[in-house]
Amino acid sequence: MMDLQTLNHFLLTGALLFVLGLIGFIARRNLIVMFLCTEMMFQGVVVTLTAFSKFHDNLDGQVFVIFVLTIAAAEAAMALGLVVLLYRRRPTLDAESWSTMKG
Amino acid sequence: MDYVFYIASVLGALAVWLVMPSTGSNFRKPRKLGALLGLAALGGGLMFLLKQAGDQPGPDVFYYVFTAIAAIAAVRVITHPRPVYAALYFVLVVLAVAGLFIVLEAEFMAFALVIIYAGAILVTYLFVIMLATLPQAVGEEEKAPAYDRVAREPFSSVVLGFALLAVLGHVIFSAKPGELQPTQRYASKGDVVTVVNDMPKRAMKVLVAHDLLPADVPGAKGVRLWAAGDRKIVAVIGDKDAAVDIELNDELRAELAGQIANIDRVGLALFESHPLGIELAGVILLLSMVGAIVIGKKRVLTEIEEGHFVPPAKR
Repeated sequence: MMDLQTLNHFLLTGALLFVLGLIGFIARRNLIVMFLCTEMMFQGVVVTLTAFSKFHDNLDGQVFVIFVLTIAAAEAAMALGLVVLLYRRRPTLDAESWSTMKG
Repeated sequence: MDYVFYIASVLGALAVWLVMPSTGSNFRKPRKLGALLGLAALGGGLMFLLKQAGDQPGPDVFYYVFTAIAAIAAVRVITHPRPVYAALYFVLVVLAVAGLFIVLEAEFMAFALVIIYAGAILVTYLFVIMLATLPQAVGEEEKAPAYDRVAREPFSSVVLGFALLAVLGHVIFSAKPGELQPTQRYASKGDVVTVVNDMPKRAMKVLVAHDLLPADVPGAKGVRLWAAGDRKIVAVIGDKDAAVDIELNDELRAELAGQIANIDRVGLALFESHPLGIELAGVILLLSMVGAIVIGKKRVLTEIEEGHFVPPAKR
């Protein structure tokens, strides 16, 4: 249990991490750094979930964090495998250079 | 009232824009000024938070320390031109978030985050960065490739992001005290009840230590306990089904509640309420492992080998 002010503080931290990850995802062109930025958005969400879990005195928020970690690990394995595959085909990590399907 | 926060948002947006990798023209952005503005924005934001806390207790002082570390490291993640350093700064973000979890008394989550994120996922990232880096010409080791030195849409992304942050902050802090209440309906049962009902052996050890239960009970059934509310335990001793009521004083309740740790609570919630989720997580992990192996074994031809290589100028 905690008071509303403390909850608000933690929610703001979560929002800050999420927003910085979002900016990085849009602004950076390196594929690996873009994936890193999605992981940072996960961090913001995870802070928010845990803060709400404490506020409501309910452990479901923390249980959900475990699932988020699972998904993040699975996503990292798959996505980085795809990055390596793309890099073998054309030796660049530039997201802009893979735009042949843009039409 | 909120204006400090809005000013901090604008300053932060300017700072992130200034320290972003430059836009490719000859104009060199004053990055030192950006760092100063960023520190000013961080200080303004923390000042706003302290003022909001006001006379209410507010969060622990370590909250402010870890938030500052996380914010600075996060900015470095998205602005550092070298992916290796970005990944290392991301480790710092993860450690700061783990510190925030300790402040939130979610110890298991903190350790899981450090072990899984900083220990496993980030090592995967570093391996891939190592695999997918061009060999650099002699004398040009310091020069990162163009896609790391030039950001894509730095201005609009920063404006978008910090506008979102300002709106989120406004919505978060416009909640009046009492408007958002903890939901009692789904709140946990309370530590005493959980210990007595779900971990009776630990409860029995405490009760035996206080001479409220006999240490040695004849018969196969032993002692069965259950909590009748928060202040009373009903104990059925031995095979004769003799029920004994045990009233709990505050000292005893505190000692019983101390028997359960965060990891016990998380485990109980995980296996009592979400058994299907565990199974699905296992399936997802297996699928991703199989998928990663299939992707990794696939032999791809480079575009030059395949014969439709487009020189970079025409792309």
